[in-house]
Amino acid sequence: MTDFPMTTTDSASARWTADLKSFFLRYGLFLLLVLVILAFAWLRPSFGSAGNINDMLRSASIAALMFVGLTWIIAAGEIDVSFMSVAALANMVVAALVASGHGWALACLAGLAVGVIFGLVNGLLVAIFRLPALVITIATGGLAGSVAAAIGLGTSISLPSTGFVGALLHVNFGVVPLLTVIVALLYAGAWFVQERLTFGHYLYALEQNRAAVVEAGVPVNRLLLMLYILSGVVSSIAGILLTADLSSGQPYIGSSYFIDGLTSVLLGGMALKFGKPNVIGTLTAVLLLAALLSGAALLGWTDAQRQIVRGALLLCGVAVVVWARRKTRAHI
Amino acid sequence: MMALKSSPLTLRLLAFVLLLGVIAAVFQSFAPAYLSENNLHALLRHMSVNGLTAIGLTFVIVVRHFDLSFPGVASLGAMTLGWLLANDYSLAESVAGGIGIGLLAGLINGSVISYLRLPDIVTTIATGGVAVGLSYFYSNGTSLSENFFMSGILDLNDSKFLSLDMPVVILLGAAIVAFIVLHCTRFGRAFYATGENRRSALFSGIRVKAYVLTAFGLCGALACLAITLLVASSGAANVTAGNQLMMPAFAAVYLGAALFGAPSIPATLAGTLLMSAMLNGFTLLAIPYYYSDAIVSTVLILAIGIFDPKLTTLVGGLFSRKPAR
Amino acid sequence: MAAILDMKGIEKQFGVVKALDNVDFSLEAGEIHALLGINGAGKSTLIKILSGVYSKDAGTVTIAGKTVELGSPAAAIACGIASVQQHPELVDDFTGVENIFLGQEAKQAGLGRRVDRKALKRQAEQLLKRFPIEIDLEQRVGEMPAVDREIVAILHALSREHIRILILDEPTSTLTEREKTSLFALMRQLKSAGIAIIYITHRLEEVFEIGDRFTVFRAGKRVTTLTCREGRASQVSIPELMLDEKPGDIFPPKAKNAAGEALLEVRGLDRPGLFSDVSFTLRRGEILGIFGLVGSGADELSKALFGVIRPAAGTITLKGKPVTLRDPHDALRKGIFLVPGDRRTEGLTLSRDVIFNMTLAHLGKASVLGGLFRFASSRKTSAELAKRVALHPMTLDRPVSAFSGGNQQKIVIAKGLYRDSDIYIFVEPTVGVDIGARATLYALMRELSAHAGVLVISSDCDEVHGVADRMIALYKGRPVTVPDQRPSRDQLLSAGIMGARA
Repeated sequence: MTDFPMTTTDSASARWTADLKSFFLRYGLFLLLVLVILAFAWLRPSFGSAGNINDMLRSASIAALMFVGLTWIIAAGEIDVSFMSVAALANMVVAALVASGHGWALACLAGLAVGVIFGLVNGLLVAIFRLPALVITIATGGLAGSVAAAIGLGTSISLPSTGFVGALLHVNFGVVPLLTVIVALLYAGAWFVQERLTFGHYLYALEQNRAAVVEAGVPVNRLLLMLYILSGVVSSIAGILLTADLSSGQPYIGSSYFIDGLTSVLLGGMALKFGKPNVIGTLTAVLLLAALLSGAALLGWTDAQRQIVRGALLLCGVAVVVWARRKTRAHI
Repeated sequence: MMALKSSPLTLRLLAFVLLLGVIAAVFQSFAPAYLSENNLHALLRHMSVNGLTAIGLTFVIVVRHFDLSFPGVASLGAMTLGWLLANDYSLAESVAGGIGIGLLAGLINGSVISYLRLPDIVTTIATGGVAVGLSYFYSNGTSLSENFFMSGILDLNDSKFLSLDMPVVILLGAAIVAFIVLHCTRFGRAFYATGENRRSALFSGIRVKAYVLTAFGLCGALACLAITLLVASSGAANVTAGNQLMMPAFAAVYLGAALFGAPSIPATLAGTLLMSAMLNGFTLLAIPYYYSDAIVSTVLILAIGIFDPKLTTLVGGLFSRKPAR
Repeated sequence: MAAILDMKGIEKQFGVVKALDNVDFSLEAGEIHALLGINGAGKSTLIKILSGVYSKDAGTVTIAGKTVELGSPAAAIACGIASVQQHPELVDDFTGVENIFLGQEAKQAGLGRRVDRKALKRQAEQLLKRFPIEIDLEQRVGEMPAVDREIVAILHALSREHIRILILDEPTSTLTEREKTSLFALMRQLKSAGIAIIYITHRLEEVFEIGDRFTVFRAGKRVTTLTCREGRASQVSIPELMLDEKPGDIFPPKAKNAAGEALLEVRGLDRPGLFSDVSFTLRRGEILGIFGLVGSGADELSKALFGVIRPAAGTITLKGKPVTLRDPHDALRKGIFLVPGDRRTEGLTLSRDVIFNMTLAHLGKASVLGGLFRFASSRKTSAELAKRVALHPMTLDRPVSAFSGGNQQKIVIAKGLYRDSDIYIFVEPTVGVDIGARATLYALMRELSAHAGVLVISSDCDEVHGVADRMIALYKGRPVTVPDQRPSRDQLLSAGIMGARA
């Protein structure tokens, strides 16, 4: 924060404005979410209908799940652009196994295995062998995407029923899906890990100064490996849920989650941590994005306009990251 | 493995020819039509699109940056081209418009990354996303093909020059110009100096920011030139046109760099040739595109591993014992 | 007080260079012991052996009576030796408390342990009870002043209970006078808690202010160890103890003729925190030397003269015209060439060949028709330059990384010759260069000065004194005037280490 020369008389009011500014920066995203919801509910009453809220929460929950690992990977200073393709692959694997009569239980295990395998490969190459994260995850993502398309021979796989997963998806507590409750609990757990355990503590330190963390004796490579495995696992779970949600396997489902994922993580950094990606921020940003896109659709915006909104939001996210970096490096 | 990096040029060329030979032999045995004149023409035409994109990406990789926006920018360029053609602009104007959009997008990327110091990965993802969104505006996402036949755009794919297909001629022309710039001029030296040791280049009086800017501009422009050829060959402009460009471009540049020790225009062309040889073979064998995409990804991973000095020193260390200091 | 550390017969060799030659060193519990010596005298090698970074070739190390092997940094810490680097690695966004206990948040190490911030705060308070010092450990380290960062680094080193020996490497080089007092207060606290401190510094007056004893190193040998009282009382000149015998004839004769036009005039150059009120004139035909140790602002001054750093105040005049140097491109165009202090990261593109590097600073001269590189003529010119600087081996197609340090430096100089500048600034020109190559480099500098002005900025007192016609010293950013700008070797060293006007 900037220092300004103050006299005793206006030091109190100067402190007040500084505090207010800080308050808005920390909690602004939440306020924005509330404002957006209220605005759309007023503009289009159908926005606030039980059905719409229920749908938004369900799809937001799946997305939020997919982005948990990504949040911490970016917070630690690395990147993963394979997450959405791993989700698509898990999605297709489950669909293929169910369609060929193997039952949902086995299919879900297989889908999970996909996430573990790709997480391990990413982690091994990036965390242990120290290869550049971007190009490696571009490649592993491409691999996952191609296998996903291959499974369905280029098209989607329709499923006649959605098994126990589908049933789970459609359990509701009033307007709130059970899935949302589960994801909320998961996020609460993630918040605990992030704020109270050394795991979360170290990953933020890693982004700032890897040398200091290594010097302190922390097993940095193991930490990063775990992060990549986590990202793979949550992406695959999201993919499994999508199979039930869409009653089909869609090989190209990943592409819309790509920009949304990065946007949610980067924009979410605004909340609570002045620019550092964190799980609550990601969750809020996911909800914000869901509300904005749903509202825009109800307002009759075209695909094109919604796509531009996505891109523009990502640019905002980038701006948040840069601003946060400038702020913390200000003393240099 | 350490020897891999310092191998003389002849050894590397031999490795390249050997690889090419192996690929040709394998595919020829499964599909006798592989080495036919028709197929070789098709192969070279396919290579043109990927080759042009890869050449543009080479400049960005040489200055040690990343550009993930070119698929989206290419889609925008394709739709701009299609729209201009559909609205009776001349072929020259339309093509210039398409490429100009690419150049503009690249310069925006470059100035934001070079002068405002934004991180290149997420910034180019963002601009790519915005570009795709903008590309929807021309026709609300539908395909454009009006006037194509009459404008002469299809000639870019069909006509010949000195018995070479036009796309190949364009690739060769671009490759020659790029080669001269990157390897025979002072500008090329400045690009390499900027990438290999930015601080040292700065201390030698090189305008490093301007070179990074130019590299991104070239990448955008060349991606749009590539997409022009794709539009010419498919006869229509789509918003998804650019999606196919990403992986083969990275694979070509990294594969070439792995083979020849550093990114360069000849290395990129070699990488593109190898990639196209494989992909063409798969098409001939009627293997669906998704399998070949998987192969491209795997090749990319292997190429990165070989290209990265840390990994080669690690493996090299396994074969020799370093004495304690 | 018993000796807590006893080192006997320590030897360490790097290739042909003997860094430590049969060195004995002992440290008493609770003493503050300074190590003095010019660069390369052996001080940092000794402490690197103590902190487990280097392994000794011979000799024994005994701590509290027990012989120990310091095979790794972890082993050194286990033996109770902690060291704080000159530029400590801290996590800027973490608070002081979090940095101090980084890696030790819980009783056992691991990734899944609870971080009990309240407990850490209590532990920090305990630490401050042991060593009462005024510091707000709840502040983010990135916002702390330099001295507090230093203190956090020291407390981090001490956070393990059993540390008995603390090594501080040039801790005051970035501190103001007032901040230094805070640091010394902490050091006295540590002393009374029984922790011995090894303190490396170039600043003599600090040694007498805070130290109990000091040891002078010279050319890998321990010259003498005295208590500060003895040192003050005796008439021995410490600078004289630090300097080698007269170096051999590696320096060419000085300029006989009077210098020519004023090429570079600097008046009142100022950049708060780095250097202040620097003024000098550089003339054609002479070599001007600036002697400055770490923290003297010499390196930053060189960057200000090349457009990398902008001075906040003062003027730079080139051949009579005042100029602002916007960036290195601008400086080069105006006739200034910098041979940077770190040739590997600032002076050369290591993976490229000799011709690439030699022509890089003047690509315009090496190209024709708007950009086409002139391969043949630049090869010819590079060959001529290589001969002129006596490059060995004379293979122009080798990557520069394959040449020795001295030859790499020659390539950088050749780059400057290719540019044909009016002013050549050399920063630490012979670091990592062997004796034979040094003589060649000095001869080259003399040759250059015949038609240009040469500025040599170095922390090697012998070098500055040997090669320059006139000299000034920088101490904590300020110039120290020496008699007639032609001081004796001792006077120059005193000026640089004490700010003393001799």
